[in-house]
Amino acid sequence: MLINSKNIVHKMSRFYKLCVAIVLSLTLLVSSSQVKAQDAAAGGAPAADAAAPAGGGDVEKGKSLFTNNCAQCHAVTAEKVVGPGLKGIEERAPSKDWLHKWIRNSSALIASGDAYANQVFNANGKVQMSSFPNLSDADIDGILAYVDQASKPAAVASVAGADNTKNAGGAGGAGPSTGGPSELFTFVLVALLIVMLLVLGVLLAIVTILSKAVTPATADGTLAASSFGQRLKTGLSDAFNNPTLRSIVIWLFLLVVTKATIDGAYSVGVQQGYAPKQPIAYSHKLHAGQYKIDCNYCHTGAQKGKSATIPSANICMNCHGVIKKESPEIQKIYTAIEKNQPIEWVRVHNLPDLAYFNHAQHVNVGNVACQTCHGEIEKMEVVEQRSSLTMGWCIDCHRRTEVNTKDNAYYDKLVALHKKESKDALKVANIGGLECSKCHY
Amino acid sequence: MITNHKSVTTALAIIGLLITGTSCERGHDDTGTVYAPNMYESVGYEPYRQIRPNTINVRENGLNMRLPAQGTVARPNYHTTFNEGAFKTTDLMMYNIPADSIGIAERVLTNPIQDSEKTLAEGQVLYTRYCSHCHGATGKGDGPVAAQYKGVPNYSADAYKTMNDGHVFHVITHGKGRMWPHGSQITPEDRWKIVQYVHKLQQG
Repeated sequence: MLINSKNIVHKMSRFYKLCVAIVLSLTLLVSSSQVKAQDAAAGGAPAADAAAPAGGGDVEKGKSLFTNNCAQCHAVTAEKVVGPGLKGIEERAPSKDWLHKWIRNSSALIASGDAYANQVFNANGKVQMSSFPNLSDADIDGILAYVDQASKPAAVASVAGADNTKNAGGAGGAGPSTGGPSELFTFVLVALLIVMLLVLGVLLAIVTILSKAVTPATADGTLAASSFGQRLKTGLSDAFNNPTLRSIVIWLFLLVVTKATIDGAYSVGVQQGYAPKQPIAYSHKLHAGQYKIDCNYCHTGAQKGKSATIPSANICMNCHGVIKKESPEIQKIYTAIEKNQPIEWVRVHNLPDLAYFNHAQHVNVGNVACQTCHGEIEKMEVVEQRSSLTMGWCIDCHRRTEVNTKDNAYYDKLVALHKKESKDALKVANIGGLECSKCHY
Repeated sequence: MITNHKSVTTALAIIGLLITGTSCERGHDDTGTVYAPNMYESVGYEPYRQIRPNTINVRENGLNMRLPAQGTVARPNYHTTFNEGAFKTTDLMMYNIPADSIGIAERVLTNPIQDSEKTLAEGQVLYTRYCSHCHGATGKGDGPVAAQYKGVPNYSADAYKTMNDGHVFHVITHGKGRMWPHGSQITPEDRWKIVQYVHKLQQG
């Protein structure tokens, strides 16, 4: 019976592995097909452009001129970016000659008192358009031809593109969680197997006791006079009085309790894994990961001082003064600014006051990457304390890390002295990285 | 009967211990136990760590952080000598040209930091840190943020490739068009190094 069920467990684990493999390959297939679809969509737009040439100018040259000079502020669709959308510009403008003048020097045209020029200027918030005096008539005609041609198919392509990025984002989110059978995965699998076996053993014991209690027949074939309750009691007391079973249970219990006690004692004051909910659902994964904004852009203090600093609202506004203003999370920043109230971020890394830590010393002088201590922040939706921040963790790094002494006269004498005593490279521990008073005072 | 009673007690004890054992698992929102909180929490006022309201600064919501007094000069501005040897200059790195006077900046300002490979390399590092996510690694206006943000110019485009020291410095400090001011994040000295690197990118 036991052997049989063990086999079943083995088969089950194989079945699990098979399932995992199937799920993995499916996700891979789906994501790769999405990538293909995206490529196709991206490749589709220029092909459509080439298929429908419009007269009036060199479209190819116009396209490169447009991307270099105009695309930053104008879309080929009717959508307003900074300046108005350029769809149907030739029908709107008084004449081609007017457009030539406007693009080369719009402010001169406005100053000359041209009615349409002033109307456009006022309708777009009186933002001065840059002048492009170096563009020839042919250049501008090329740009206009490109705009005319790109305005319709580009609109469709951009919508499809947006859909694809959404899908790709979803697949990307699911990707890391099914990232192949890692060491942890096998460990969990083995642990599950052991637990299942233990549960099976316990269940078997219970089944034996219960079946003895339920079946009224005794060894000699006669019907026992005792009731179900009494038989259950004798079964249980038999099991309890079995010295082997009892000592196994007691030892297991003692081992588990000892382990739990030691683990508990060592985790006092260690906040590893702490990931509090923040007042604004800011995502480092989006900002630092997807948009590749450098850590130092917001945490301006990391290179200069003790604290890496939490960005003030004006740094958020560098981008969100213009984009995503309507999002409820970003509205919280606006509310905070209007009410002149600080945003109460929850501190994640709580180094005890008894230990001194300086960011500039590590990041600027020591050239330690942010991720060394903070983990892969660029992949975190909610920031979590990845490192233990215990003294042992600090000391360990100070013992391992070599000092970058290259081209730095400050270390010359230290290196010379160190070479007399040791063959190893100069480590942080050798220049006082283990001194108590370096961090505790 | 006694044995039965014992077995029930043991079973209950084991179940109870299992429950307490699992319930001790710390949630993501919990900092866990601290052995001696008075060693962990600062007695002095810390800017980025505050456990209880500040009883002295009641006017500003009991915050530890205070605004500096009016007219305070930031520490980086104490560094006043730049370059070496014949190019040595003294500059307070104070910038008082108002945001709407970019014309004055274009006419008056020149970069006090001497061009050298070292400062250009520093400029590149600073550019990567503060500018490239919008303006792109090569200044083409094609950074990952620009696609979302829109209106980021190409440095080597006709209208931008001739912009001078003062113009670029003023735009970093006070912003222009869709770009917002970055003066609070970057020290004047670092801004001048970025200006040097931007000039390199303007050449395409």
